Amino acid sequence: MSDTILEVTDLKTQFYTERGVVRAVDGVSFDVKQGEIVGLVGESGAGKSVTTSSVLRLIEEPGEVVGGEVDYMGRTIVGFEDTGEELVPRDEMLTEAQMRDQIRGNEIAIIFQDPMESLNPVYTVGGQVKEFIELNRDLSGEEAKEEAIEMLRRVGIPEAAERYGDYPHEFSGGMRQRVLIAMALGCRPNLIIADEPTTALDVTVEGQILELVNDLQAEFGTSFIWVTHDMGVVAEICDRVNVMYLGQIVEQGPVDEIFHDTQHPYTEALLNSIPRPDRTVDDLEPIEGTMPSARSPPSGCRFHPRCPDAREPCREIEPAFEQVAETADGAAHRASCLKHEEVGYWEAEPLEVEVEK
Amino acid sequence: MGLLRYTLNRFLQAIPVMFGIAVITFLLVNSMPGNPVDVMLAEQDASPELIQAIEERYGLDEPLHIQFLNYIGFSWFLAQIGFPGFADAPPGLLQGDLGLSMYYERPVSDLMLTRLPPTLLLMMSAFAFALVTAIPLGVLAATRRNQPADHVSRIVALIGVSTPSFWIGIMLIILFSVQLGWLPSGRLVYPWRDPSHYGYGSTLELYYQTVRHLILPMIALGTLQMATIMRVERSSMIESLQKEYVKLARAYGVSERKILRKHAFRPSQLPVVTLVGLNLTSAIGGAVLIEMVFSINGMGRLLIQSIQTHDYQLVLGTTVVIGFVFVIGVIITDIAYAYIDPRVSYGEGS
Ligand SMILES: Nc1ncnc2c1ncn2[C@@H]1O[C@H](COP(=O)(O)OP(=O)(O)OP(=O)(O)O)[C@@H](O)[C@H]1O
Ligand SMILES: [Mg+2]
Repeated sequence: MSDTILEVTDLKTQFYTERGVVRAVDGVSFDVKQGEIVGLVGESGAGKSVTTSSVLRLIEEPGEVVGGEVDYMGRTIVGFEDTGEELVPRDEMLTEAQMRDQIRGNEIAIIFQDPMESLNPVYTVGGQVKEFIELNRDLSGEEAKEEAIEMLRRVGIPEAAERYGDYPHEFSGGMRQRVLIAMALGCRPNLIIADEPTTALDVTVEGQILELVNDLQAEFGTSFIWVTHDMGVVAEICDRVNVMYLGQIVEQGPVDEIFHDTQHPYTEALLNSIPRPDRTVDDLEPIEGTMPSARSPPSGCRFHPRCPDAREPCREIEPAFEQVAETADGAAHRASCLKHEEVGYWEAEPLEVEVEK
Repeated sequence: MGLLRYTLNRFLQAIPVMFGIAVITFLLVNSMPGNPVDVMLAEQDASPELIQAIEERYGLDEPLHIQFLNYIGFSWFLAQIGFPGFADAPPGLLQGDLGLSMYYERPVSDLMLTRLPPTLLLMMSAFAFALVTAIPLGVLAATRRNQPADHVSRIVALIGVSTPSFWIGIMLIILFSVQLGWLPSGRLVYPWRDPSHYGYGSTLELYYQTVRHLILPMIALGTLQMATIMRVERSSMIESLQKEYVKLARAYGVSERKILRKHAFRPSQLPVVTLVGLNLTSAIGGAVLIEMVFSINGMGRLLIQSIQTHDYQLVLGTTVVIGFVFVIGVIITDIAYAYIDPRVSYGEGS
């Protein structure tokens, strides 16, 4: 097995709102190996962004990471111990200062989802890229500036040197997104968490960015967590993929396996809802209904109210997240669906589909 | 570059505004009840010849539109090019001449030169005091949100907002001048005068006395500003600290101190600048009262005096000059705004 650099186990993050507790991330486990691109896919509101922020411990009030482990190269980013009454952070958990000086930016960099709000409107674009590069690498101010221009050029900002001194409002949304990408790449971290970094880009530019990501991987062995809605992007760049639904991972495995040996009805539905060259628009099957609120998730399997394959037991029994299929190279292929458990799924009656159209 | 052009633009745009101020003031002052000449001659049983002579001296015998042209200074231009009927027209506003004060028997512009500086000194020190205290306190309150320091500063701000400045002035005088005898209770010492004028031996002593005399009126006038600025600074800072770009800075390992000083601070000064610009007007009103309380011979006292004595030219001159000062204050805040926020100056340029 190649070396695992990031290991997330049973991560739980909640938001305490006036209308109740939002279990945005509710027991998520996945890992990232050196040089690998791991996809994180799922509908809007599934908890992808909260998961990525939790990994860097960037969750703010009223949210909190309430359980689970995040281990990065032997260092404990999140870790709890049970005192009998409550969970308290373990001693070896990195301090805020250690996170700041040793992890954020220089080991793990993040590309935020919202390109319009992520740049400071009163400072120049180049200055912002330079600031973070200078802070996270052993470079002088001059060198950091050169590096910033070089990165801006590589992500496809035309006339990067001239535009270095421009302000964010002079950049289009897609250009701002590329600036955020340049920031992350320029810091030369070991792991980059990219939260839908190409959604505002057109296909050509997206292609260039994906190529750049591939180059970087070859050059520096950088690993990525790639958050996206787009199964096409997953197919193109990811080695393994995690499918998220309502705060949990429902299926996890190598990309080929997920596409060709789909084990969870939600993944199936996701794949059926995207355009593919071998199908016409009429063949698309959008997923019925909308995702329920993370404040009061459905009982049993969280997907059962929308699942075309749901049967009686799905309402009561919460499926375990377990190895479901053999893969060629021995990599894990897990899914949480009662079809794979001995709970009488196959003998039970199908559930009436309760979704409103 | 954008900023320079913006500055120039703003000053050019101010010209019609200032002209408007002059026109409106002229019309308002002319619709005041009471004839200035009557007031001037109140006690005497003046002959029609005397009234005629006085009206002629102050140019009040002309029809209103000619008076207006005279006042603005158009007539003077017409006289220069030899336009018939304007042969000996006096210089006006455009030439820097504001006419003659009936009460003081002196050119109004001379009076402005002695009365405007004290008011500017008072207002600038009051705003400086307000900014220097309110900004750090506001930032502190924002970072210690809902903690004791925050509660205390919010209560102080609430008191500051709801206490009239003249009352604060009187209380300060009672406490620090009358009871404790630490600070003088009135009049200012002007740093631009010669030390010997006040009988001081050195410039240093002059400055020292200037500060001593300024402290109480400055606090009295500045407290309200301090309180309002602090409230805005606090809420604006809290808002900035939740912005996505602050989260991004945190995600790249920027220290909390630098986030406060740089990333969150500068964007959150925009509402503060707007507020200071708006408050310049209300502060002029406050300055009038403070000048009365502290016997400062500034524009405020002059204005009140001129109204009481129906000093027609002086009312006109004082109001117009205060109006101009206000316009310039607004321009300066606009430029400060453009300096902080690049979107402003760039948008204007194109
Ligand atoms: N600050 C917050 N306060 C309360 N609830 C929050 C907060 N941030 C996120 N949530 C909730 O957490 C859940 C997961 O949100 P998250 O942003 O992770 O979704 P996502 O999968 O990234 O969706 P998208 O694809 O739209 O970005 C949602 O139900 C959301 O309402
Ligand atoms: Mg998201």
